[in-house]
Amino acid sequence: MSASNFFRVRSGFALVWLLLVGAVPLGRLLAEVVWSASPLDDPAIFHAALRSLALAGGVTAIATGLGVALAALLLLRRLPGRRPLLFGAILPLLVPPQVMALAVAQAAGPASPLLLAVGLAPPMGAANPAYGPGAMMLVLGVQSAPLVLLAIAALVRRLPDEAIMAARSLGCTPGGAFRRIAWPLLLPGVVAGAGLTWVAALGNFGVAASLGIPGRWPVLTVLLWQRLGAGGPQALAQAAGLAVVLAGLALPGLLAQIFATRARPLHHGRVFTPLPIRGGAAVAGGIAAYLALVLGLPLLSLAATALVPALGVAPNLDTLTARHFLTALAPGAQTARAITVSFGLSAGAAVVLALASLPVALALRARPVRIAAAIADLPQALPGAVTAVAAILVVLPWGGALYGSIWLIGLAYLTRFHALALRPVAAVAARLDPRLDFAARGMAAGLWWRARAVWLPPLTPALVAGGLVVTLLAVNEVTVSSLLIGPGAVTLGTLVFNLQDAGLAPLAAATSLLALGLVAALMAAATLAGRGLPAGTLPWRP
Amino acid sequence: MTPLFSRLLLACLLLPAAEAAAQTAAPAPLSGSMVLYTSQLEPDAAQTVDAFRQRNPGVQVDWIRGGTNQIMPRLRAEIAAGSPRPDVLLLADSLTFETLKAEGRLRPSPEVDRGATPADRHDPDGTYFGTKLITTGIVANLRAPFMPRVWADLLDPRARNMTAMPSPAVSGAAAIHVLTLAQAPGLGWDYLTKLTQTGMQPRGGNGAVMQAVASGERAFGIIIDYLPIREAARGAPVRFIFPEDGVSAITEPAAILSTAHNPQAAIAFLSFLLSREGQELASRQGFLPADPSVAPPAGFPEPASIRVLPLDARRAQAESEESLRRFGALVGQ
Repeated sequence: MSASNFFRVRSGFALVWLLLVGAVPLGRLLAEVVWSASPLDDPAIFHAALRSLALAGGVTAIATGLGVALAALLLLRRLPGRRPLLFGAILPLLVPPQVMALAVAQAAGPASPLLLAVGLAPPMGAANPAYGPGAMMLVLGVQSAPLVLLAIAALVRRLPDEAIMAARSLGCTPGGAFRRIAWPLLLPGVVAGAGLTWVAALGNFGVAASLGIPGRWPVLTVLLWQRLGAGGPQALAQAAGLAVVLAGLALPGLLAQIFATRARPLHHGRVFTPLPIRGGAAVAGGIAAYLALVLGLPLLSLAATALVPALGVAPNLDTLTARHFLTALAPGAQTARAITVSFGLSAGAAVVLALASLPVALALRARPVRIAAAIADLPQALPGAVTAVAAILVVLPWGGALYGSIWLIGLAYLTRFHALALRPVAAVAARLDPRLDFAARGMAAGLWWRARAVWLPPLTPALVAGGLVVTLLAVNEVTVSSLLIGPGAVTLGTLVFNLQDAGLAPLAAATSLLALGLVAALMAAATLAGRGLPAGTLPWRP
Repeated sequence: MTPLFSRLLLACLLLPAAEAAAQTAAPAPLSGSMVLYTSQLEPDAAQTVDAFRQRNPGVQVDWIRGGTNQIMPRLRAEIAAGSPRPDVLLLADSLTFETLKAEGRLRPSPEVDRGATPADRHDPDGTYFGTKLITTGIVANLRAPFMPRVWADLLDPRARNMTAMPSPAVSGAAAIHVLTLAQAPGLGWDYLTKLTQTGMQPRGGNGAVMQAVASGERAFGIIIDYLPIREAARGAPVRFIFPEDGVSAITEPAAILSTAHNPQAAIAFLSFLLSREGQELASRQGFLPADPSVAPPAGFPEPASIRVLPLDARRAQAESEESLRRFGALVGQ
């Protein structure tokens, strides 16, 4: 194969792949909306859209406030116990939203085992305060705060240490130096984090359904799920219309991220070192208390709910039972199957995406490939329901063969998470010196040898990191799979939601704890496997 | 030789022969996969499937659960797309099955072994089979301001905003309950209208009602019997009440679709549900079994003493859509 021929093949593959995971599903979705012209003037849609906007706005405000505060204290200052605190501050992101929602609902209601145990349960007939927009915003805000923190962390590494030292030596207080030098440079990170949060809140299904349905506050994602579930000839066209509305509402978040990428500062100099803070121990104590509240309390509430024999029983040493764990793990129960399905799908998607990322990242210099890649980035940046509906439409010609099977969920995951796998690989590939490849080819090295000697050594950490992030996010995902599940194809996230929806809170709590255990095991494995990775590739090691 | 000993000896001698005979008579073991759509709650469905698979290890059962009226749209969409996936349906009420039968969607299955279940529980044409008796009554939290005795007690001012009910759009049992009360003399639409004016907001399935009452978010619930009876036995602070004026009832029928991919496995599944073993499992799970010779679970009154409100099935089927819409309008849904 001649060299130019090879480049054409590689670009050709990259182009076809990117079109398949990007332009084809999104184009099919748009085509459906244009063709069927499903009416969207239903007042229920309008109200749901308003609620979605309110939710996204509230969540973005809360998450940005929390994220900036955490960044100011944990990233810019030197605190005792900074590393574990930072790790803890990232963790809420990795707790599946439907699990957090269940925990909060169980912690707050009149049957709260925690409140019953201390005798503070609300009176009979009192509505659960967790069911409503306020709690939804709070839960999602706390969960999304790490997105803002991480977006800022990516820029802290580029802060000009020299400038801050200069300001300090001119008599500026640490706070003043940060205000005048650091925060203006970190602003794109704040904006990017806020944009990510906006889209995440808009597209969220786990919290929106678990707390919003009982609270009679349905947002767009819930309405879409209900309309698709209600069936009928118009269901798919309606779902497509709702998905496009959802995508439209996500635009501000998307624009914020684009602006932030453009405004990102470049710095090559001394790496920024955090400055000390007065009363550091007290501040660290405050952050630890906050983390204990947002992580420990839900966990405690889950455990209390999972360990009582029946809902409404106060937990004490006499009433504790492992019955719900045994039921969750009983032969024939869906839990083991769901774990296998979720783990298989997420790991499978991660491997396929990592393998595909290599040729795509190397072909990104070609202009058509870059355009296709920009389109293929969209499904990650848009709410998950958009991908799910697009995936249904793409496989529609094959009818029942794929709908409701794990293959459809797998296909949707490829589209949904493609950008996450490609991003780190593309970043490293862009810095590869093409002359190395030319030299290798000059020495008549074949494809296999060039991959082994030239591409894989620098790219492997990025490939692994991309795959790990995909696995971690996909394994507890619920927004996409809730719309695609079928017999034998129930994911872990959907199982937890279904159990809770069916009123089996103790079983749902037990299953949630098992799911959290799975996440922890995956994180431990990733930490071990990723010891050589550069900072920032594993989200919990910024 | 004592008579007991001789009998034992005889049994020992005969057993291997009987076993061998059973082996030669038994058909080839079933295999392949079978898809089940059911409205049973997750752990109950898991137990049922697991018990069946212990008898038929060669059959892989894929299943999905949802409220009857959540499963039906899915099935309808699959039928519209030309490829219904399930082999077996195990859903709440016979009205749903009557509708499917009228459309020719159910496979007449005389091969199903009905065990000792009475014939009046099943479709005379053998397309669907009642597997148990599930009644809808009232659950009350033990901290409730009073214990209702008849349906009209839920209209008491002390029950205002205190009563939960499953949505007929989700639960087949709730839909039948509305249709039954609408026909019941002395209750009817007059009662249903007053009931909806007490601030009742139907939501979710029976599990959600159980959770709302056990957790004390509501004091009373309109609910199928086995959930509160079973949970009360485990210590949940609730009590199930069979109202004196009667309960509504469903039979949780099972049926094989005419488009089933694996009818042999499906027949075996239905036969298992109606067998003594399947009926005993149902009883252990807390259901009133269809087979009267199987003892009802603890916590139930003598089955003959339960007063069931009559339901004119033909009339209910004809009025079902209109009646449920009317009820939906009353509760503002």
